[in-house]
Amino acid sequence: MNTIKSPEESRKVLDTIFSDLTRSITHKDELTRFWFFILIMFAGVGLWGWIIQIDQGLGVTGMRDYVSWGMYIANFVFFVAISLIGFLISSALHLLKISWSKPISRVAEQIAIAGVALAGIIIVMDMGRPDRFLNVFLHGRFASPIIWDVTVVTTYLTISALLFYLPLIPDLALLRDRMTGKVPAWKLKIYTILALGWKGNPEQYKTVYHAMRILMILIIPVGLSIHTVTSWLFAATLRSGWDTTIMGPYFVAGAFVAGAAAVVILMYIYRLRYGLKNYFEDFHFDYMGKLLVFVSLVYLYFNINEFLVPGYKMKTAEGVHLQNLFTGAFASMFWLVQVAGLIIPILLMLIKFFRKPLPLTIISVVVLIAAWFKRYLIVIPTMEHPFLPVQNVPDYFKSYAPTSIEIMITLFSVFAALLIITILAKLFPVITIWEYAEEKGVDKKYFSEQPKN
Amino acid sequence: MKTKVNRLMIGILMFLALPGMGQDWQVPADQLNIENPSSYNLENVKKGKDLYLQNCKSCHGDPGKNNHLPLVPPPPDITSEQMQANTDGGLFYKITKGRGGMPQFETTISADDRWRLINFIRNYNSEKEQLLIDAPPVNAKILASVNEAEKKVEILAEYEDKSGSYQQLENAPVFISAKKAFGNLLLGQALTDKNGRSVFSVPETVIGDEEGNVTIVVTLDENYKAEQVVLEEAKVGKPKEVPQLIRKEVLWSTNENVQIWLLLSYLGAAGAAWIAIGYVIFQLIKIKRFSKQ
Repeated sequence: MNTIKSPEESRKVLDTIFSDLTRSITHKDELTRFWFFILIMFAGVGLWGWIIQIDQGLGVTGMRDYVSWGMYIANFVFFVAISLIGFLISSALHLLKISWSKPISRVAEQIAIAGVALAGIIIVMDMGRPDRFLNVFLHGRFASPIIWDVTVVTTYLTISALLFYLPLIPDLALLRDRMTGKVPAWKLKIYTILALGWKGNPEQYKTVYHAMRILMILIIPVGLSIHTVTSWLFAATLRSGWDTTIMGPYFVAGAFVAGAAAVVILMYIYRLRYGLKNYFEDFHFDYMGKLLVFVSLVYLYFNINEFLVPGYKMKTAEGVHLQNLFTGAFASMFWLVQVAGLIIPILLMLIKFFRKPLPLTIISVVVLIAAWFKRYLIVIPTMEHPFLPVQNVPDYFKSYAPTSIEIMITLFSVFAALLIITILAKLFPVITIWEYAEEKGVDKKYFSEQPKN
Repeated sequence: MKTKVNRLMIGILMFLALPGMGQDWQVPADQLNIENPSSYNLENVKKGKDLYLQNCKSCHGDPGKNNHLPLVPPPPDITSEQMQANTDGGLFYKITKGRGGMPQFETTISADDRWRLINFIRNYNSEKEQLLIDAPPVNAKILASVNEAEKKVEILAEYEDKSGSYQQLENAPVFISAKKAFGNLLLGQALTDKNGRSVFSVPETVIGDEEGNVTIVVTLDENYKAEQVVLEEAKVGKPKEVPQLIRKEVLWSTNENVQIWLLLSYLGAAGAAWIAIGYVIFQLIKIKRFSKQ
C-alpha cells in the first residue's frame, strides 16, 4: 500500500483510476458492435442446432448405445474446470493475504460465472428430453453423484455470483454517482438498484468485508466439491480409465491449469482493448505465469501417476485402454495434449521471457485448447471400450465422432460463455475500483464525494 | 446372413447326397417284402402324422403340396407316385438306414413308430381308404375359467355344426399354455368329455410372477378355428423368487433405502452451504438498511 496522499492528490488519482477502469463501459466503437454480432450470431446458430436436436432427438449426435457420453460431457467437464479458477484466485489467494492477485479477482470471477453457468446449460443440452429436467430434482436419488453434481453446480454458481457482486457494490455507487450522462439511462438505473443505496459508511464496509470473508471460506469446500464430484461421475464407475482413486485431485489440478490459462488470456485482452497497461502490469503476468507453472507441475505429477502406474501393470482392460491412448487411435491427440499442452509450456514458462504478457498469452491459448482436448480424452476412449461385448451392431455404434450438430451446440457454449463475459465487462469495471484506489493510498472518504466537474 | 447359412446348409446336404445321385436306391431283397406289423387304423395314422410333422416335414413338405426343400435329389412328396411305388418293407428300410441327404432314423425313431409313419404315408395311397382327412378347420368356441383354490383350469368347448348352431365339442384335445415374455409355454393338454368339458390341473412346478400369477392361454388344435382364451393373472403358479439386490441399504441404493450417513452428509453439506448463502444475502439487506441512516 502506498503512503497516504493529500486530498488534492487523492482526488486526482481516484479520477484517473475511475476513468481508466470505466473505459470498458463507456468505450463504444464498431469493433464492439462487430464482436457482439459475432457472438450472438454463433450463439444463435448453436441454438438453432439445439432446436434441431430437440426436434429429431439425440440421434442427430454421434452418440450411440455404447458411447453415450460424447463431446457434450467433455465440454461440460471443461467448463466446470475453467470455472474453478474463481475459487483459487479470488478466495484462496485472498485468504493467504497475497495481494498481487487482487486486481485479477474480478476477471477470475467473470470466468467462474460464465463457466459454471454454461456447464449447467450444457448438461441440459445433453439431455434427450430436456423437458424432463425437473425430474432430476423431483425424483433424484440422494445416493447418486449426478444429484450431488447438480446441487454443487447451482451452489457454486450462486456463491460465484455473490462473490462477484459484493465487492462490486461500492463500485456501483461510484458508477451511479459519476456516470450521469455518460451511459444510457437504463444502465444508470441498474447501477442505482444494485448499489443498494450505498453511502460508504463504516458499517457498510464492515458488512461487506464480513460477508466476503464468509463467502471466501465457503467457496473453498464448495469449489473443491464441484470438481471432485464431477470427477466422481466418472470415478464411481468400474470402467477402465475412470476406475481410479486419483480422479478427484486430478480433476482439480487440471482445472487450475485450464482456469489460470483462461485468466491470462482474458487479462491480456482487457489490457490491450481497454488500455489497462498500468493495471494488468507485467508483473501480474509474471506471477500468473509462475502460478500456471506451479499448477501445471502439480498436474504433470498427477498425470505421471495416472498413466505410469497402470501403464506399468497393463491389467487386461486397462491395458487395452492405455494401448489405445499411447499408440492406438488416440495416440496423436494424447501426446499432443501431454507434450504441447503441458510439458513444453512448463519448460517455456520457467524462462522469464515467456512470462511476459504476449508470450504468456500465446502459451495460455495452447494450454487452454489442450485442456479442452484433455477432457475429450478422459471421456471418449473409455466409452469406446465398454466391458459389455459389442456384438451384432452397426459399425458406427463402435466408435464415436461428433456430428456437425454437436459441434454447433458445443460452439454455442463457447460463444455464450464469451457473451456472458463480454456483457459483464461492458456493464461493470473489470477491476474493483475502490479496492485498487485504496491500494494506491486513496482514503475511503473520497469515494463518496461527488466529483466537481 | 440367414440366406448365407441356408445356402451353405444346402451345399453340404448336396455334397452328402452326391454318392446316391444317378443310381436307384436298391433295397435288399430280404427287406423288400416285409409286411407292416402295425395295423392301418386311425390311431396309428394320427400318431404317424405327429411323427411326420416332427421328423420329416422339414424336408419332404406338406403332403400333396409339393413344397419340399430344393435338394438334389429332391425329397419326394409323400403323396407322389414315386413315394407310393415303394413297398412297405422298402419304405421301412429307407427310413431306417437313410442315404446321402436322407438321414437314418434307426436310433432316433423306434421300429414301431417307423411302421406308424408308413401307415401315415399310406393314408395318401389311392388304393387305401383315407382314414385321416384334411378337412378345413371348423369354427369353434372355447370358454375357460380358473379355479384358483384348486389350481385347475375348467374348459368348455363348442363347435359350429353344418346348420350353424353350436354343439358341445366331444373328445377334442385342448392345449393349456402359460404366457411368458417370449411366447407361450405349453403346460399340457386335456381331452374334452362328451359334454365338451375338460378340467386341467396346473402342475405344481409352474412359476408365475412375484405373486405367483400366471397368464393362462387355452387353444384348440389346428382342426378348429377358435379364438384363444387368455386368462390374465391367475394365481395358480409358484411365486417367482427375485433376488432383491437394491432392497437393502447400500451406497448406490434408492431413496427408500439410502444410507443414513449418506443422506445426512448430503443434506448437511448442502444445507450448511445454503444457510451460509442465506446469511450473506441477509448481510446485503443489512447494507441496504445502513444506507438509510
